Amino acid sequence: MDIGLLGQYLANGVMLGTMYALVAVGFTLFFGVLDVIKFSHGDVLMIGAFTGFTTYLGIVAIGIENPWVALVAVLVVSIATTAALGALIARYLVLPLKSAPPLNILLITLMLGTALREGVRLFYPDGSNPKAFPALLPTASLELGSFSLRADSVILVSAGIAVIIGLNLLINRTRLGLAIRAVAQDEETAKIMGINYTMIVLVTFAIGSGAAAFAGIMNGLYYNEVNFGMGLLLGLIGFSAAIIGGLGNIYGAILGGFLFAGLQTVGAVALPFASAYKDVFAFGVVIALMAWKPTGLIAERSSDRV
Amino acid sequence: MKDDVMKTPIPVSLPPLATGLIAVAACAIFGWLFLLAESEVAVLGLVLLAVLAGWGAQKTGLSATLGTAMHQHSGAMNGAIVASLLAVIALLGTEHFPLLMLSTMLLYLVAALGLNVQFGLTGMVNFAGAAFFGIGAYTSAVLTTHTAVPPLLILLAGGLIAALIGALLIVPVVRTAGHYSAVVTIAFGVLFKTFLEVNEVLGGPQGLMVGSMNVFGWDFNNGPVLMGHEMSFYVNYALLSSGLAILAFALTRRLERSWLGLALDSVRLDETASACFGINVVRAKVLAFTYGNILAGIAGALYGMMISFIAPNSFTFSDSLLMVSIVLLGGLGSLWGSALAAVIVVLVPEKLQILQEYRFLLFSVLVIAMLLFRPQGLLPRGVRSYFPGGRAQR
Amino acid sequence: MSEVLLEFEGLAKSFGGVRALDGLDMRVKRGEILGLIGPNGSGKTTSFNVVTGIYTPTSGRVRFDGRDITGLGARKVYEAGIARTFQRSRLCLDLSIFDNVMIGNHARVNNGLWFNLMNRRGLRREVEDGYARARELVAGFSADLADRMFAPVGALPMIERRRIEICRALVSAPKLLLLDEPSAGMTHDETAQLMDDILAVRDRMGDLSIVIIEHEMGVIERLTDHCVVLSYGRKISEGSYAAIAADPEVQTAYLGVD
Ligand SMILES: Nc1ncnc2c1ncn2[C@@H]1O[C@H](COP(=O)(O)OP(=O)(O)OP(=O)(O)O)[C@@H](O)[C@H]1O
Ligand SMILES: [Mg+2]
Repeated sequence: MDIGLLGQYLANGVMLGTMYALVAVGFTLFFGVLDVIKFSHGDVLMIGAFTGFTTYLGIVAIGIENPWVALVAVLVVSIATTAALGALIARYLVLPLKSAPPLNILLITLMLGTALREGVRLFYPDGSNPKAFPALLPTASLELGSFSLRADSVILVSAGIAVIIGLNLLINRTRLGLAIRAVAQDEETAKIMGINYTMIVLVTFAIGSGAAAFAGIMNGLYYNEVNFGMGLLLGLIGFSAAIIGGLGNIYGAILGGFLFAGLQTVGAVALPFASAYKDVFAFGVVIALMAWKPTGLIAERSSDRV
Repeated sequence: MKDDVMKTPIPVSLPPLATGLIAVAACAIFGWLFLLAESEVAVLGLVLLAVLAGWGAQKTGLSATLGTAMHQHSGAMNGAIVASLLAVIALLGTEHFPLLMLSTMLLYLVAALGLNVQFGLTGMVNFAGAAFFGIGAYTSAVLTTHTAVPPLLILLAGGLIAALIGALLIVPVVRTAGHYSAVVTIAFGVLFKTFLEVNEVLGGPQGLMVGSMNVFGWDFNNGPVLMGHEMSFYVNYALLSSGLAILAFALTRRLERSWLGLALDSVRLDETASACFGINVVRAKVLAFTYGNILAGIAGALYGMMISFIAPNSFTFSDSLLMVSIVLLGGLGSLWGSALAAVIVVLVPEKLQILQEYRFLLFSVLVIAMLLFRPQGLLPRGVRSYFPGGRAQR
Repeated sequence: MSEVLLEFEGLAKSFGGVRALDGLDMRVKRGEILGLIGPNGSGKTTSFNVVTGIYTPTSGRVRFDGRDITGLGARKVYEAGIARTFQRSRLCLDLSIFDNVMIGNHARVNNGLWFNLMNRRGLRREVEDGYARARELVAGFSADLADRMFAPVGALPMIERRRIEICRALVSAPKLLLLDEPSAGMTHDETAQLMDDILAVRDRMGDLSIVIIEHEMGVIERLTDHCVVLSYGRKISEGSYAAIAADPEVQTAYLGVD
């Protein structure tokens, strides 16, 4: 195989890995503060992408042509909407079930995901068909032999990595991050220390969901398409990545995201029979990994005290 | 004297039994009318009636009386329920579509009973119920078209293959709990459907034809003749599905009311403590997982033969969620609850075509409400009584 | 038959950097009630968890009834004859009293698939036997509870739950009973009642040995034949209650002065 093609796969893998890591980080944040899985995360991402798409239509309708303005508007509106949605889910579905069996939260958010997905399919105008997402980024490309590096890809990956680094700094270097980590460590002690527990949980859900919206827009820009079902697969991939990495660990989530992207890319390149099996392969490996290391590569801190 | 649970017969009084039998008959008539109802208005009216009746039964204490009847006269009540099921099938006679719906509902119930053992009793979530159902269906498609295996054996093969493929997941599912095993089954469910879509041998997205059922030379494509009238060929499937559902129900009931059922409960509620009291946690989980997958596989195999054409789109993640919804709506561990919920989840949208399109949305919202406001389900499971009537209640 | 039933030899268990047990040596004689005391976090519960096979020790050995049971796994340890209660009550709240007690009897019933699904007559006999046994045991603690064997446990007050937990541990007739703070969450009077119950049980089951973890010194004084005091995972003192109560090292450990 020539170098150019290899580079192409590599670039593709990095792009996917960034997207997956952004989703996985959300799962890990929620698990960190509340020990819960919010499975609607992928569908919240889809809502983010659709909000972005709708915003774009609105921008065009009021006659603004500049793609950068449109991009900023799309990002701001979509992230804000999704963050609010995330906080609402935490407030009205997750927190009320905190003392119920932990699986109930997984179930209720799974069902919410279905409701969001179906809601868009049924009630968004022509929602059951894919929508062409506008190319808002410059598409110029740099040709190196058979390898072409497109400007939009570079921008997307850099922006995605910047968001991940930003999130990491937020969690590890700010007062807010300190409060989040305190809640994640020990809810009771955090409360005693005067941290507004509910507020921190809502903020964390807002941040994680905002990151998902960003990933959703990235996805739309990269594939030039959004559809109502996009969140299911991305959510599952993000969930798998977070679990492989070891839940509750932000580096684990990033590792898991890139690992999954790597698996898919390898699956597409190396499998003799058509790249159609790439997802089958990737999920097969996830299942095998879970059999080998049931609580992920970076083990979750054990919580079952006897 | 009052402490011997098993031997002291609780004083028999007629009213609960009589009430119970009348209620069963009423349900049968209702079911018949409901399955036959043509117009949306009629269906809607009947649904409303059922909701009102359920609410009224709660308020007037009728449901408590019915519980007593089921408990004290389980033989008579169960017999009456089976008899009315058969009566409804006979009455539907020539009606293809209602019979098909009834059979579909019964087969979903079989799968849901399996899921209930996994999830409701043992606490192992399985979000790939539709996948195991689909494995059964694809098994019967391949075996009916390419081999001469007797179709009755194909049903068993469907269960067996589902259990075998399930065995591939056993290590990760048994070694993990909660969200970890959830991700394994979700991944498997999605993997299964993707695999079917890209696999040309299994027909890709278009799917496969399935041969019909055949019991000892009787081809299910022929309508049986009752007193000179030829009935719909779906009567065959309705009868076989009923038989399967009754068998699955009885077996699951026995499982629940045994030491094994107690072990499954204990594993669900506290794995560590279970191990400290000598319960073999791995065995319990393997048993529950395999049991559930076998039921789903068998039900799926018959379902495939009945609808004679299957495609990956019938076995999606959303369908798996629908099966989980049946278990949750009915009540975890509650077998009658699963039966009631199967009726609601499968029949209502089939009858109300306007709802058909909205059913995933409808039931996901319903389950959300249920988890928030009535987590024990529509017909909550009671305290275990090992034998019918064998429970001193004070 | 040796006089020693349970023996720890240099038992150690670390969690990350925390040394919960740090080279513990200890013996429990047949038929005795041993009190295990020590400040919070001194490793008492951890020692139970290591014995019962929930944790494998980092180093050291556990011998029980002449056998090395180190790292045997919870199920095997139970079958060897050790039953326990938990510091935080771990009953199955949704299940009936009968069911909860029968969970403890699990090793003595037939768990065969065919037997449970098909042999209804055999199962019925076992259920009746189990019921008689469980009821008798529960009646030993409270006649009132014994009349409500099919009531869910979740509706009962703490003291009744503790009693049922002890019944669950006793129903299999173990050789050694480990009680982890049975008085936790109960009033003074209730604690006194429960201790009477425990003494009565010991009288009924002659050869039962008991290790009890307790913070209430009154309980320890009344119940135990011998005491072991832990601090930071090590044994700092042992002897009769009077002896350890007078030990200055024990007093400093409890008061936290150096
Ligand atoms: N599963 C675990 N993971 C990490 N650390 C643990 C674990 N179990 C116990 N520890 C630590 O080991 C030490 C001993 O704990 P242990 O529960 O044995 O104390 P204890 O003597 O029973 O205290 P208490 O009187 O409060 O019950 C403590 O510092 C505790 O934090
Ligand atoms: Mg303790």
